[in-house]
Amino acid sequence: MATEQKPKSRFGMVIDLDRCNGCGACAAACAVENNVPPAHPTATDRTGLTWMRVYRADNRRPFPDNRSVYFPVSCQHCGNHTPCMAVCPQNAVDINPETGVVSQIPVRCLGCRYCMAACPFHARYFNWFDPKWPHEMENALNPDVSVRMRGVVEKCNFCHSRWQAAVARAAANGNHDIDPADYVPACVEACPEKAMTFGNLDDPKSEVARQSKAPIVFRLLARLNTDPKVYYRSDRDWVRRLGDTDVAQGESEVSRG
Amino acid sequence: MFPGIYDFHWDAGHIIFLGIFYTVLVIVVSTIAIAMRRAILDFRGERAEALRWHADFEDLPDRWRRCRHELTGEVASRVCPNAFDCRHCTEHPKFVAARTPSTLAATHGAVVAGFAVPADRLYHRGHTWVRQDDYGVLTIGLDDFGAHLLGTPDEIRLPRIGSHVVTNGTGWRAKKNGVAVRILAPIDGEVVDVGGPDKGWYLKVRPDNPPDTRHLLTVTEAKLWMLRELERLQTSVATEGVGAALADGGLPVENLSEAIPADRRDAVMGMMFLNA
Amino acid sequence: MDNSFISRGIRRCSTPKFLAWLAPWAVLLGLGVFAIGLCLIKGLNQTNMDNRFAFGLWIFLDLTVIALGAGAFFTGFLLYILRREELRAVINSAVVIGFICYSGAVLILAVDVGQPLRAWFTFWHPNVHSMLTEVTFCITCYLGILAIEYAPIVLKNRQLRDVPSFLLFEHQLHKVMPLFAAVGTFLSFFHQGSLGGLYGVLQGRPFAFRDGFAIWPSTFFLFILSAIATGPAFVLLTTWMVSKISGKQLVRHSVFALLAQISGWLLIAYVGLKSLDTLVWLNVTAPRSGVSAIRFYGWQPFASWMLVVEIVVLGLLPALIFLSPSRRRSTPWLITASLLACGGVAVNRFVMTIQTLAVPTLRFEPFMLYFPSWQEIAAFVFVIAYGVILYSLSFRYLTLFPQERELQQQ
Repeated sequence: MATEQKPKSRFGMVIDLDRCNGCGACAAACAVENNVPPAHPTATDRTGLTWMRVYRADNRRPFPDNRSVYFPVSCQHCGNHTPCMAVCPQNAVDINPETGVVSQIPVRCLGCRYCMAACPFHARYFNWFDPKWPHEMENALNPDVSVRMRGVVEKCNFCHSRWQAAVARAAANGNHDIDPADYVPACVEACPEKAMTFGNLDDPKSEVARQSKAPIVFRLLARLNTDPKVYYRSDRDWVRRLGDTDVAQGESEVSRG
Repeated sequence: MFPGIYDFHWDAGHIIFLGIFYTVLVIVVSTIAIAMRRAILDFRGERAEALRWHADFEDLPDRWRRCRHELTGEVASRVCPNAFDCRHCTEHPKFVAARTPSTLAATHGAVVAGFAVPADRLYHRGHTWVRQDDYGVLTIGLDDFGAHLLGTPDEIRLPRIGSHVVTNGTGWRAKKNGVAVRILAPIDGEVVDVGGPDKGWYLKVRPDNPPDTRHLLTVTEAKLWMLRELERLQTSVATEGVGAALADGGLPVENLSEAIPADRRDAVMGMMFLNA
Repeated sequence: MDNSFISRGIRRCSTPKFLAWLAPWAVLLGLGVFAIGLCLIKGLNQTNMDNRFAFGLWIFLDLTVIALGAGAFFTGFLLYILRREELRAVINSAVVIGFICYSGAVLILAVDVGQPLRAWFTFWHPNVHSMLTEVTFCITCYLGILAIEYAPIVLKNRQLRDVPSFLLFEHQLHKVMPLFAAVGTFLSFFHQGSLGGLYGVLQGRPFAFRDGFAIWPSTFFLFILSAIATGPAFVLLTTWMVSKISGKQLVRHSVFALLAQISGWLLIAYVGLKSLDTLVWLNVTAPRSGVSAIRFYGWQPFASWMLVVEIVVLGLLPALIFLSPSRRRSTPWLITASLLACGGVAVNRFVMTIQTLAVPTLRFEPFMLYFPSWQEIAAFVFVIAYGVILYSLSFRYLTLFPQERELQQQ
């Protein structure tokens, strides 16, 4: 486990749930960017792979008062006692000291799945199947992201390869710090509703830092005290309550996206 | 695991955790190494035979490990703590010293329940005897009880001439009706001649020093012991619900080994010859 | 046919009968090998585990089996360290059972991980703060200790003891056995605890998370206590089963009574502390995470009856039976209580592993259930068959119960 020192910057995002229409473009863009293989024919919604899952929940009211909301949930990049990193027996989970991003190192992963049991956001996925792309699609793989083998865990890393590219570009220009415009994860880029804002939460000038301080912004399971770096925003009370911990039964009809 | 490997830090967590791990590893490995080294030393020191006897003796039930002084009534009940080696017993000299001449007056031989117990020899609990024949040479043979039990062995493996036998170690091996037994040597010495069942003796040994025979039974003791042995044999066979020929008090049959039910021969032979 | 390998004076069934007993187990073993092969070759998609049920039947049974295997170290501790000589009557059997339990669990763990060939990574670059690292190190070391404890029992086989160097090594090993018992106790203490810690530290899972002492959550201590409480009960149960199957008295009843008494006192302590822990968890720990914990039990089929069954029916009840002197004299009562106690530890491990994963954390995630695939069940049947076969061979050719010969001749 890397020592829990305060990272130099803390990248995070704010997702405006009032804008999200559940189109799933973020999930598709993520899969393309990060070489997430297409689902195996026998995979189910419980054994498939995605780094970004869009959940649908509603307010449990009958028509015509029924309202629904979509929750895009990726790794929440916990900053405090990061549950997955704390439990990994062989240091296959790492926090980047530059960005605060929690990364899975697949080549070091044993596939014991203890991190999946530890993650309260169910944001980690196991390669139950050998990754396989249709023949022509293999040519379209992103060369900057290594593919993962069967039997290891993977998850969102805020498009680590894009950060590396931004660092390289900054270095080429003789800069020490990256240009925020150079580092935008694929999901944020792809969102047609511009519902996602990404950036350094520690940079007071950044849009994401400003937005994250709004009173209608909340985080999922905040009371578990894991300090996630993904924020959600909604004007609606009932939506904000869905981020709470209480697992009351039948509070909302759910369908898993 | 070692300094220099990914994510090793000289912090309290690593030092305590890996410190304990390496301590455990060192303790386990060095303990095994020590045990192995001692085993090798024992092997070189030819302690295998003595240890074999101790291991076997440990595995014998308490009822088979009675002190010889229980036979004579000198003590009510006592389990031998010395693996039938009175030479190292602290109590044995006290019992001997307490004996009045009348306690063990009779020194003549006899026939006990059909088994001859001649007076010219000393007896070992493994049904062998030792007799001083020629000067400096001891003759070892199977006692009458043992001889009846074994009958004519199907196979016999005697030690090489020139090898050493040790007290309670393997004297020779015999096989009868598929049952293999080790006959325990009653005394230490170098084998100078070997005999066989037909000769009435099995080994002639030359003791290294003046022979120490304190652990051997005198003829008086042997007569009492022989009765106990018969009793032991009878109970063992009788609990099986067969062997009435012995249980009804009749004389032991000539070929005792045939009278024992086949499936019990192994256990009974082991019991009588003190093989675990 | 194999009589010369069977200890003298010990009666065992005929070779054909023995082979007939082994045959069905061998078939199950073969089935298990097939299932394990499928999982290793085709991957863990052969199981019904999924991203939510990252742990399934295997982890639950591994934890149970390891808890039951605690009889080996705890009997060793009582015999060699606390000098309860009466327990020499069952120590060999306890060691064999422990070896079977641990080796079986390690084998299943090796199938359970996605990349078994990387198991050494945990040793090479361990995260020393993870409970699983601690478990891996301790279980591996302890399996080694169990193998060392098994060795003298094997070397004392009637034919093997005829090899002088074997017997000498056995003799020397036996002399240092108290040291191995002490190291084994130390290791077992920590990995039994860490198996509980595995769940107690999960801050993100309010159902499992517990407050504790220093770096250890309360489950650390409860797992140790429940394991050493049921370990002797399992030794009692297995001894009785072997006795019934072989039709022989193997130990004196006083040994059963002693095991029961030890189990009883530990079990009553466990039930007390477990109840206290549950109250603290329901009223303090879980509410702090924003969860009214009693609502965990709103999910069917794991309603609050689970809690009552685990603590009262499978904890308090067997403890009271074990502690009643008159019940202790009766074998049927002891067996009933042992079954309950072993069932109790299984239910506790089930709750910690399966129920923890079934209860959702996100409000828009559903409660989920899972049923293991035949491959998962068959892989575990493999362990049972392997255990039965190894135990049967040991029982036939080695001295597992030193009192047997004496009892048989009475």
